[in-house]
Amino acid sequence: MKKILAIILALVLALSLVACGDKSGGNDQQQGGNDQQQGGNDQQQGGNDQQQGDTGTELAGTYEVKVWAPDAAVDLTKQQIEAFNSSNTMGIVINATVEPVSEADAATNMITDVSAGGDLFFFAQDQLSRLIQAGALTKLGTGAATFVKDNNSAGSILAAQSGTDYYAYPLTADNGYFMYYDKSVVPEEDIDSLEAIIADCEAAGKNFSYELENAWYLAGVFFGTGCHSDWITDNDGNFTGIDDDFNSDKGLIAAKGIYKLVSSPIYVSSATADFASGSAVVVTGTWNYATILEQLGDNFGVADLPSFEVDGQSYHLGSYSGCKLLGVKPQEDAVKGAALNQLAQYLTGKDCQIQRTQEFGWGPSNKEALQDESVTSNPALTALAEQGNYAIPQPNIHGSWWDIAKVITTDIKASDGSDEALKAALQKYADSIAAVFEMTDEVRNAFTVIGAVNGSSWDVDFPMTADGDIWTSDEAFEMNAGTELKCRQGKSWDVAYPAENYVVEADGTYYVQLNAATGEVSLVAA
Amino acid sequence: MKQYSDLEFLRLSKWQKFVYRLVSFFCSIPRAIGRFFKNIGGYIKKAALAVVNELRDIGVTFVHGDWKTKVSYVVMGFGNMARGQVLRGLLFLIFEVVFIFYMITAGGHWMSMLPSLGKVGPTQEYDAILDTYTTVYNDNSFKILLYGVLTIFFIVAFIYTWRLNVKQNKLAEQFLKSGKKLKSDKDDLRSMVDEQFYKTLLALPLTGILVFTVLPIVFMILVAFTNYDGAHNGFSNNLFTWVGLDNFNTLFSWKSAGGGQSYSATFGEILAWTLIWAFLATFTNYFLGMFVAMMINKKGIHLKKMWRTILVMTVAIPQFISLLYVSKMFARNGLINLTLLDWGWIKQPLPFWEDATWARISVILINVWIGIPYLMLITTGILMNIPADLYESARIDGANAWQQYTKITLPYMLFITGPYLLTSFTGNMNNFNVIYLLTGGAPTNPAASGAAGSVGYTDLLITWLFKITTGAESQYYLASVVGIMVFVVVALISLVVYNVLPSIKNEEDFQ
Amino acid sequence: MKKNETAKRHMGLRALNRASNTAIYILLIIISIIWLIPFVFIVLQSFRVESTYQVGYVIPHQWGLQNYINLWNSDFKRWYLNTFIIALASAVLVTVIQLCMSYTLSRFRFKLRGPLMRFMLILGMFPGMLTMIILYRVLADLGLTQANAVPGLILVGCASSGMGYYVSKGFFDTIPKSLDEAARVDGATRLQVLYKIILPLAKPIVIYTILTAFMGPWGDYVFARYVAFGTSAGYNVAVGMYSWLTNDQIARMYTTFCAGGVIVAVPVTILFLCLQKYYVEGVTGGAVKG
Repeated sequence: MKKILAIILALVLALSLVACGDKSGGNDQQQGGNDQQQGGNDQQQGGNDQQQGDTGTELAGTYEVKVWAPDAAVDLTKQQIEAFNSSNTMGIVINATVEPVSEADAATNMITDVSAGGDLFFFAQDQLSRLIQAGALTKLGTGAATFVKDNNSAGSILAAQSGTDYYAYPLTADNGYFMYYDKSVVPEEDIDSLEAIIADCEAAGKNFSYELENAWYLAGVFFGTGCHSDWITDNDGNFTGIDDDFNSDKGLIAAKGIYKLVSSPIYVSSATADFASGSAVVVTGTWNYATILEQLGDNFGVADLPSFEVDGQSYHLGSYSGCKLLGVKPQEDAVKGAALNQLAQYLTGKDCQIQRTQEFGWGPSNKEALQDESVTSNPALTALAEQGNYAIPQPNIHGSWWDIAKVITTDIKASDGSDEALKAALQKYADSIAAVFEMTDEVRNAFTVIGAVNGSSWDVDFPMTADGDIWTSDEAFEMNAGTELKCRQGKSWDVAYPAENYVVEADGTYYVQLNAATGEVSLVAA
Repeated sequence: MKQYSDLEFLRLSKWQKFVYRLVSFFCSIPRAIGRFFKNIGGYIKKAALAVVNELRDIGVTFVHGDWKTKVSYVVMGFGNMARGQVLRGLLFLIFEVVFIFYMITAGGHWMSMLPSLGKVGPTQEYDAILDTYTTVYNDNSFKILLYGVLTIFFIVAFIYTWRLNVKQNKLAEQFLKSGKKLKSDKDDLRSMVDEQFYKTLLALPLTGILVFTVLPIVFMILVAFTNYDGAHNGFSNNLFTWVGLDNFNTLFSWKSAGGGQSYSATFGEILAWTLIWAFLATFTNYFLGMFVAMMINKKGIHLKKMWRTILVMTVAIPQFISLLYVSKMFARNGLINLTLLDWGWIKQPLPFWEDATWARISVILINVWIGIPYLMLITTGILMNIPADLYESARIDGANAWQQYTKITLPYMLFITGPYLLTSFTGNMNNFNVIYLLTGGAPTNPAASGAAGSVGYTDLLITWLFKITTGAESQYYLASVVGIMVFVVVALISLVVYNVLPSIKNEEDFQ
Repeated sequence: MKKNETAKRHMGLRALNRASNTAIYILLIIISIIWLIPFVFIVLQSFRVESTYQVGYVIPHQWGLQNYINLWNSDFKRWYLNTFIIALASAVLVTVIQLCMSYTLSRFRFKLRGPLMRFMLILGMFPGMLTMIILYRVLADLGLTQANAVPGLILVGCASSGMGYYVSKGFFDTIPKSLDEAARVDGATRLQVLYKIILPLAKPIVIYTILTAFMGPWGDYVFARYVAFGTSAGYNVAVGMYSWLTNDQIARMYTTFCAGGVIVAVPVTILFLCLQKYYVEGVTGGAVKG
């Protein structure tokens, strides 16, 4: 019903745009439609009055918007929104409250209560899937998706993507790591060799901080030897599989490199500004730049990660490069949604990104902004860019991977460094990630009912029991005429009956029955 | 086992008595269960009989009642009003009107949705003109469950009130027949501050408990039978629905969870540490606190008040400040490590929070720092109450300090503080603050990586529950199962202790 | 001879006593140092201005009030006010509710008294954290979350406080019932008995209840964070200050956290030390009779 209504609305709106003369009629309709959905929108009226046929003008109006930005960026974000209000030609006025919410906590907070969440929010890219699944991110329209694809660096585009759809706007592309070092301990000629740095630190009794007990840092070592680890997602943000070769010969080389460092007494698993507490080298990112500069003073040094040597061959340590994204919460009111998207595009545009670089040293994702002088003159961003040659853009990663992968380091640290022990650690990892999608044969062969059944929306598999070739659902479903469903095998779509969705003909309570031999689905009244 | 007669029992030493009670408690369990099942038929019969009696009484009242009573069956409070008790009648009537209004406008809807928890999830729609996606929100499983439960509460309350209304009519008729006067409204009001004063006093606190404790607990128990989590939050993405006992199966299955050990193994590990922690935390505090109190109380020690005040400071300062600060102090690059490194006492920072054993010992020691002051205060009061002549006569008998302690002080203390020890044990099992603020559960337990919420070696069940709730997947259903298990464990322990410790069992004994 | 021996033993005992007293003094001094050290350190570090992160020394190289100025310029004022309002409101409401509950359960014998107490005992065995999610939703429906978290937290904090009646019930139990009965014989209603006879006698427990109710909200973190998430205006001090110790902020805010800690702790501690007498009475009574 609502769909039909929306289509009518869209048609009426289109007509009103084409036929400029007849404004009031379209206006009334629009008003009514909005009432239906979620209270009318008073600003609408004003907007339509000055309508010029320009597609932007129907967005004119004042919008109450809640923005979540990290503590440091609150003031700048307010200024940028002011600037947007005065510069946009569409008549959009954003009345924003900007709240300090760390980009690391965005998903946790949004999942708590989407309706109370920020309309626009900064978040770290690894939360993308969780946010999509929680219904906290709105899918970008074609225009917005083009905006993202045209303006941003390749890695950051990937980060905003799930399946073939785009869900967020890249804000920065600086979520990577490189090496800060104390020049008085590590001479400049040593910074390319992990072995030399370890020797320098051991000689000076200083620590080497590298948080390998964190999968984000750990994975870089494997990338350095040519390994890869990719999770596969569909358009709804669900994970469907993994393509990973950490448990291979190349992975073994990485494990040997890890053992070199973690077996040294100077190794410390940390990524904080540790120079005050006895470290001479810290692998961390741009966010610690100011603190470390203050801690080291004249001895401040920064570089890309070093190389390590195994069996006479040298491997440059790799890394993840990640992004921060700006998300737009799903809106019930299309007009507000469109206005928010306009604001989001402004905030993630070239000028705003350069401002953030100048103020906090955040590395931009915008291709033009990357060429700006403020980026190229920042030593941390320069080191990040150099490390970028060895960095892998961080894809969507399953939430449990972080905990599974970091165990590699713990196991290597506890081992004696022999090939067998290192292989065992990698094997354990491989078993663990395989188990995320593990299914027994029983599950793989069983049929289940899926559909708009029992309040689910094609997301719950209801079990069926077999009697020969005849499978019957374990429970009877109360269904209305028109309810659609399917029976599928192994909770996947490879084998599913019938080809077109089965449509219930009359209201009632039924068991669903499938003849697996013929693929015929039928209902049995309970 | 050997059954002792009362006389034999009295002859046993304290310790033997304790063991005897413990053993006989566990031995009596099978019998008690057997008795329960044997009597189950009896219980059902009794309950059925009670219901039949009620129904019969309702019927009899209707048949024998006058017209006022009969009207009251439909219009609640009519009888009261007709017989001059306007206030009571009005309250009944208002309740009925509110109930019917609620059921028609909302309650009926929520009840009808309760079995399915909603049928239509949110849908996304594409607005071609604005090139934007919008979301249309439909059913909300969460609200259906919440208001469904609330409506059931309401219906039960209504049935009870209706029954009360019928009873009052019957009583009023009997009263009038026997020539007595009914209570006037004034009498009613006066009794609210007199005989019935307890109802007035309890009204507010009990309403609060009902709405903000009972209702949420009922709700969360129900959540354990649904698939409510971050990906099925019932409103903004997918609806959630009933899944029966699946979640209990998950927690107790031996199947490996996502590669790590199984949930049941993880649960077992956390439970074991929770019990060890609760035991150590309770008894280290208890004995050390008593020790400090005895030191301060000793004759000839001056400035008693000052020592106490210094210790009590830790009670006054909010824990999130003191514990967070101490946690950072012991961190790898915290003050303690940096100072020791500086002095050259250690080469490497001590892994206070990084190593499982270190972390576990550290939390217990720091808990002593937090806990001793309370115990010091409590034991000070009790120690002063021990009759001095007991010690005097012991001294004359030649008992040394240690003997005096074990023969007089300790038994007296244990007897008096028995209930406190139990509450503090269960309190420590749920001691969220100390663990969360100090370690946050760290260091991570790699074997449990498959379980929800990144389990660590110092995690208690309660912090795990918190992590599951706020973790990556927000598996509320699992949190709710764990919560139920916490309840079961606490209840079991309390039950055992109640049956074994005499001073708790018998309220009069420790007066 | 015999006399001499007794005297000698006496002398020996006195020497032993003196030795043990000295040992106790040394122990007590050590304990006091351990107990006070963290607080002294917090105060010292709150005056350190040369760096804002953790360092390996205690005495600041450079003293100053910069951290307190930072505090003044942050949202801390708002958080402090929020917490103060919650603490004040709780002190009043919790006291009223708990006294109603405990007085009733101590003085009245009614049919449901036993079942009611047992029921509350069982309720208390459920972990409170479990109900966090739904309490949030209920508050959200009432519009009492985020920016309006203060009334919400007061509501939730007070609503269930009746469950903590044990300590004050224990106290009421010690007031002889004959007092009530004498007054009842004189024609006083139950209400009059309560406020004319019982309450004046119960002053220590009233003050104890007020004190604990006032101190509680200063440390409330978990639920407060859950209710006020993402809205600085609704934070209390614990939620706000905790965010300063997260990994991305600690290097910048560590000393400011110490300054905040001092500002929070000083008034609460002074109040507590002034009313310490009553607190001790309450705690002792609660443990013995609860």
